[in-house]
Amino acid sequence: MEESGIVTVVIATGVFSDRIKSMHLPRLVSTNFPMGRPLGAPLDREMQKEVLLSALDLIENANEAGVTTVFKGRYRPGNF
Amino acid sequence: MTEETIGQFKNSFYYGSRSDMNFKFLKDLPDEQVENFLQELLWELGDTLDDGNLERIIGHIYQYQQKGYAGTGRFTYSSSAFTRVQLPINKMRFALISSSGHFVKGQDPNPFGVENMTQKQAEDRITDFIRLEPELISIPTNTPTDQLGVRHGGYDVRGAIMDRNVNFPIDRLNELAAEGVVGEFASPAYSFVGACSQMRLQKHALPRWIDTLKSEAVQGLILVPV
Repeated sequence: MEESGIVTVVIATGVFSDRIKSMHLPRLVSTNFPMGRPLGAPLDREMQKEVLLSALDLIENANEAGVTTVFKGRYRPGNF
Repeated sequence: MTEETIGQFKNSFYYGSRSDMNFKFLKDLPDEQVENFLQELLWELGDTLDDGNLERIIGHIYQYQQKGYAGTGRFTYSSSAFTRVQLPINKMRFALISSSGHFVKGQDPNPFGVENMTQKQAEDRITDFIRLEPELISIPTNTPTDQLGVRHGGYDVRGAIMDRNVNFPIDRLNELAAEGVVGEFASPAYSFVGACSQMRLQKHALPRWIDTLKSEAVQGLILVPV
């Protein structure tokens, strides 16, 4: 994708952090969320948007391949 | 009645008699760690009975899922291509590809010719899926929630059924486009079943996917491996 001129960012759960780190991705946002829910808990719109904003920030500001942001938000199901 | 060993017990969560996509990782832990996982989980549940705090349970599961998937896997790369951004994000056209296994109802890709395949059937055929070239499924970004289906033999889809945005964030990206944070969110968005042949994905599918995105003038791509 990057070779063809498309700027990419990956959003993934840190459950797979070993495997994903070894791929040396151009830009990565790693979340501390359980497998299958890399953007956050169901119906947690605020957290989902924060994760995307973190990814967009990497798009805008990363200057070299291999930049990772570890997203600090906590997985918080229910109560929405 | 024969006694079940801890090895048989942990393996049963991996597409066995207790198949459970959230806990299939137990198979890849040493027996002692499986015992620790369960003992600590029960102890923490005892605390949660008293204070109702689920965070420790979620953290415990996350920590052991990470142990289960530790190691670099088969696909390692020492470097990657990098394209510098040319425009501010509020002028860029973004697309979304997720390996979530979503599809529009009424346009079910019917894998292996099976109509209305269930999640259980997908899990039962996981070894067939991982030999299959992935199919990129187009999903208009205005697809109503009740018109979107999800099925994937590699993870527990219940969270994605409750809210597609947990791994296919089309509603959040529509909002960011409406707010002017990003220039455009391209329709359709795309999903595929990530439990597929990685070799066929790279060699056959990916070049076509790039052509598709280029023809749609996509400049930025959000990728969500599930």
